[in-house]
Amino acid sequence: MRPLAPCSLMWILSLLILPVMLAALMMGPVFIQPQRLLEVPGQLLGLSAERLSQDGLILNAIRMPRVMLAALVGVCLATGGTAMQGLFRNPLADPSLIGVSSGASAGASCAIVFGGALFKAGSVFGLPLVALGAFAGGFLAVILVYRLATSATGTSVATMLLAGIAISALAGAINSLFSFFADDEMLRRISLWQMGSLDAANWLRVWIAALATGLLLLFLPREGRALNALLLGESEARHLGVPVEQVKQRLILLTAMGVGVSVAVAGTIAFVGLIVPHIVRLLIGPDHRYLIPASAMAGAILLVVADAFARVVVAPAELPAGILTALLGAPFFFFLLARRPALSGGRP
Amino acid sequence: MTLQARDLFLTLSSVPLLRHLDLTVAPGEVTTILGPNGAGKSTLLRCLVGEQFPSEGQVLLNHRLVHDWRPVERARVLSVLPQQSLLDFPFTAAEVVMLGRTPHATGLVHDREIVAAALDMVDGGYLAERYYTQLSGGEKQRVHLARVLAQIWEPCCEGDRYLVLDEPTSSFDLAHQQLTLEIVREFADRGVGVLMVVHDLNLAARCADQLVLMQCGEIVAAGAPLEVLQPAAIRRVFEVDVDVGVHPRTGKPLVIS
Repeated sequence: MRPLAPCSLMWILSLLILPVMLAALMMGPVFIQPQRLLEVPGQLLGLSAERLSQDGLILNAIRMPRVMLAALVGVCLATGGTAMQGLFRNPLADPSLIGVSSGASAGASCAIVFGGALFKAGSVFGLPLVALGAFAGGFLAVILVYRLATSATGTSVATMLLAGIAISALAGAINSLFSFFADDEMLRRISLWQMGSLDAANWLRVWIAALATGLLLLFLPREGRALNALLLGESEARHLGVPVEQVKQRLILLTAMGVGVSVAVAGTIAFVGLIVPHIVRLLIGPDHRYLIPASAMAGAILLVVADAFARVVVAPAELPAGILTALLGAPFFFFLLARRPALSGGRP
Repeated sequence: MTLQARDLFLTLSSVPLLRHLDLTVAPGEVTTILGPNGAGKSTLLRCLVGEQFPSEGQVLLNHRLVHDWRPVERARVLSVLPQQSLLDFPFTAAEVVMLGRTPHATGLVHDREIVAAALDMVDGGYLAERYYTQLSGGEKQRVHLARVLAQIWEPCCEGDRYLVLDEPTSSFDLAHQQLTLEIVREFADRGVGVLMVVHDLNLAARCADQLVLMQCGEIVAAGAPLEVLQPAAIRRVFEVDVDVGVHPRTGKPLVIS
């Protein structure tokens, strides 16, 4: 039998998510006492006579947007990973396979190098140019990959994999080219951006990420049964009444949007999209009707925890969360690769 | 109502694969296709189930072009078992069979009963909680057979149902080959039109109401097994000398090579 029934895991995760986020609110260079957490909402809403304390300011301006952004980005990456693993029928697939992460990196570098010269303000409608460049780059890469893999007979997932590799290589080269022409200050911003970090979190970014997450959570779970059927192969899914081409389009669009937005607001955060669905599948099996919501919650929890650690391990400085997830994720990935025959043949 | 191919012609990369084929699969009957490798059997199946557009001619499923059906409605009347499956995720056998209920909205309780019954029918009741990835080749094939049976288990409002099997017995032992024939016959008796490709002439002879002999994209003979399985026809198509006798128990033709 499986280690956990799907419903048990969903209960556990949904009970964990709020305490984890509250704990993360307390952690950081300045530790905030638990009782202060209760006072601050009252102060913010003007219910309490006291003025906003220093802790309140930290919570409102820094911690709350940051923890919420971590949770939202975690949801986007984990559900995007689930969709891609199902679409590619490969438990080791990752949202970056369709080129979104490398395209976003190239877009961000482009914005960093040329942005300052074109727009003095460095932002459009309050959105940093870098974030806009990243989103545009990521989306452009996905559209290219999708076009390359689509012919009159439909979209070939195998071709998409190869096109993703090609576009990633191209985007990588463009990225290097920008880095080559960048000055020292730009170079530092490029490399910091690529490490992926949540330290630029603010309420605007939270709202944007919330919008993307909302759309993702609204539409992706509807594809659960179709994703299950797709695991049998595309022609079998068609014989089971799944409109395969439309489903593929929707999956790619949703993933590109979710991952594109999360890369735009938090840089490239590695391995969350790979590991979270993988672990959840090991626990409750591959049924996407449970896998998608459970991965969403697990992704949120993982990134909130990773970001909380990123804030405290080298306090008062902080690590980019992307480094932490990669440091934890890469060994886990090796472990999965080493156990791959056992995983596909004799689990558990 | 029938599943019908009319004057089917197909060329791929200027190689003619099907040449002006006519075939009708009637509900309640078992139609079996025989032929050497590369005769176009699987290509014909792919055209019939709407996976491949023919260059000319048309395929009608219950009097409607097979490509005009909404996918989910078509899936309720037409169930297809491919030669092999790509599935490589650790579903349990029961979950795989449950995938066959995807096009239906009959409720979980009812679907579970159908899944259990379908697994029992293929002698796979004991597999229900086992992981698909850990099963043997024959067991996997039986699970998929149960899946396509569960898909068209009950009559539905879209019309007569059809079961299309591409070499269903290829990885089965003798007992399960026999079982497959019994299952196919039972579904035909329930009013399902069965179309299958097999390689074993005697197996085909035993279960078919209509036997179709194919060669180079053409139907060279079609009809009752006794008419079709003539030594001359078999020699022409398979280039093998055979004797054809009569099975002592079933009275069906028995091909001895």
